[in-house]
Amino acid sequence: MQTAAAPANAPRALADDLVAQARAGSEAAFAEIVREHQSMVFGLAYHFLQSWSQAEELAQEVFVALYQNLARIESPRHLVFWLRRVTSNRCIDWVRSPRFRREVPIDELHEPGAMPRLRDPMLDALLRRLVAELPPRPRMVVTLRFQEDLDLADIAAIVDMPLNTVKSHLRRSLEALRRKLAERGHIHES
Amino acid sequence: MNLEHELQHALKRKSPASGFDERVLRRIASGGTIQAPPPPPARWARRALPVAASLALAIGGSYYVQQQRHKQAQAEQAARDVVLALRIASEKVSAVQVKVQEISHHERQVDY
Repeated sequence: MQTAAAPANAPRALADDLVAQARAGSEAAFAEIVREHQSMVFGLAYHFLQSWSQAEELAQEVFVALYQNLARIESPRHLVFWLRRVTSNRCIDWVRSPRFRREVPIDELHEPGAMPRLRDPMLDALLRRLVAELPPRPRMVVTLRFQEDLDLADIAAIVDMPLNTVKSHLRRSLEALRRKLAERGHIHES
Repeated sequence: MNLEHELQHALKRKSPASGFDERVLRRIASGGTIQAPPPPPARWARRALPVAASLALAIGGSYYVQQQRHKQAQAEQAARDVVLALRIASEKVSAVQVKVQEISHHERQVDY
């Protein structure tokens, strides 16, 4: 891999160019792609696995796989689709592999300097825990729906499922979440 | 509560520990070996911490008690030395007093 020295204050290269430059062997362009998409990939892995260390490991693997498959990436849009699909598949495979270790998430861990949000952190933590209790495929549907704000057709394409199956997973997952929240007194079942 | 709204908040994108891009590049350069971020305190460390603290307290406490005993012994020895010095001084003063009385008695006899 060769290193392309880009000035720090250079105008941000177009995403198209970044993919092309990374394909041509530019380490700087690839690092920029990683920085641009790391919160999407790491977030999906973290919300799915509920483990900081395993999400880090999985996210690194996804980007290593991206590096090895750069030749197949056709466009920035395809890049995002590819990352979401590979992350989703690897997450589902991960929980079925011996590498998976169920951990109690430390929700209090923040990046240094992060401002505390003016919301109920207990409710956020509870919701993440309840989502993590869903079976793997519905859990990924819920994570893609609410982290990435995707419509159901996009989710169906990413997880390679019929649209109706995705709709059914989402509906039943939300019902289960409402029921569990009602049991804990957070919402009233209608 | 709007569940979907709450889920959007709870499942926001999350950033990995800083330096993630560098770890990915190092991993690619090393042929795929996992590049560990600065680890959070491991479970064994969290368990070992109270044991280490107790051990430090016990060793520190024992050292402190020993030091106190040593200081007390030194203080007692110093007190004994002072008493001995006072006793010697007192004996000397008594001897001088006897001598003075003898001289005084002798002078009175000479006067008569």
